[in-house]
Amino acid sequence: MDARTSTDVAERERELVITRIFDAPRHLVFRAWTEPDRVARWWGPQGFMTTYCDMDIRPGGTFRVCMRSPAGDEHWKQGTYREVVEPERLVFTFAWEDAEGSPGHQTVVTVTFAEHGDRTELTLHQAVFETVERRHEHQRGWTSTLQHFAEYLAENR
Amino acid sequence: MTFSALSDPTRRAILARLASGAASVGELAEPFAMSLPAVSKHLKVLEHAGLITRGREAQWRPCQLEAGPLKDAADWLEHYRRFWEQSFDRLGDYLHELQGNELQGKEKRDGREDEH
Repeated sequence: MDARTSTDVAERERELVITRIFDAPRHLVFRAWTEPDRVARWWGPQGFMTTYCDMDIRPGGTFRVCMRSPAGDEHWKQGTYREVVEPERLVFTFAWEDAEGSPGHQTVVTVTFAEHGDRTELTLHQAVFETVERRHEHQRGWTSTLQHFAEYLAENR
Repeated sequence: MTFSALSDPTRRAILARLASGAASVGELAEPFAMSLPAVSKHLKVLEHAGLITRGREAQWRPCQLEAGPLKDAADWLEHYRRFWEQSFDRLGDYLHELQGNELQGKEKRDGREDEH
């Protein structure tokens, strides 16, 4: 029991976690994540345009998406779907491509969709510092380690 | 390379030690139940990843933390957070727009039915 709890704590420390409540029913939010023409409408920072969006939504299927910045730069992202559980859960790998089209550092993104009446609570976990293979290695203190370094670096500027 | 170098707890502990100042291989080995060659191996990985540099004085060769790659790693989380937060703002707007359209569609249909 204790081991399980500390693992959860360790998991949390090295993952990016964002929770957001959307004023829309769950099926609609899920569709916005899984239909290419819908995904193209929102996926990317403010001012970015999706110019290419190819998604094969099934476990093992891949996606490749290009977004264009307001300055005209193209940024390609790609990944592979690991889990597709309509309408509650999506797990996929995510990497930015370099100029030659090779994927950079791979991360694992888990999105859960929870129903709250007519609203939907979306939780995004991104294991930023791990590959899929490393997912189950239990190493502690990622974020706090980096936080520590960031503070150190700030002090020693 | 930064991330794979950082993936090992011993190497992270070495970096944490170096954050408080330069140290020799012997000093770095002290807190670990580990041989000097084993520690040297970790140091090579860190050096290769550009996370540390080593002095050229033959005897002491102090290890020092290099700021750049660690700063990049710390920025990584922040980079992704901004990317998703802004995407979610847009997703919220889009869902709002979708439902506005659906609602309008419904009202129009209802309106037509009322005309009978």
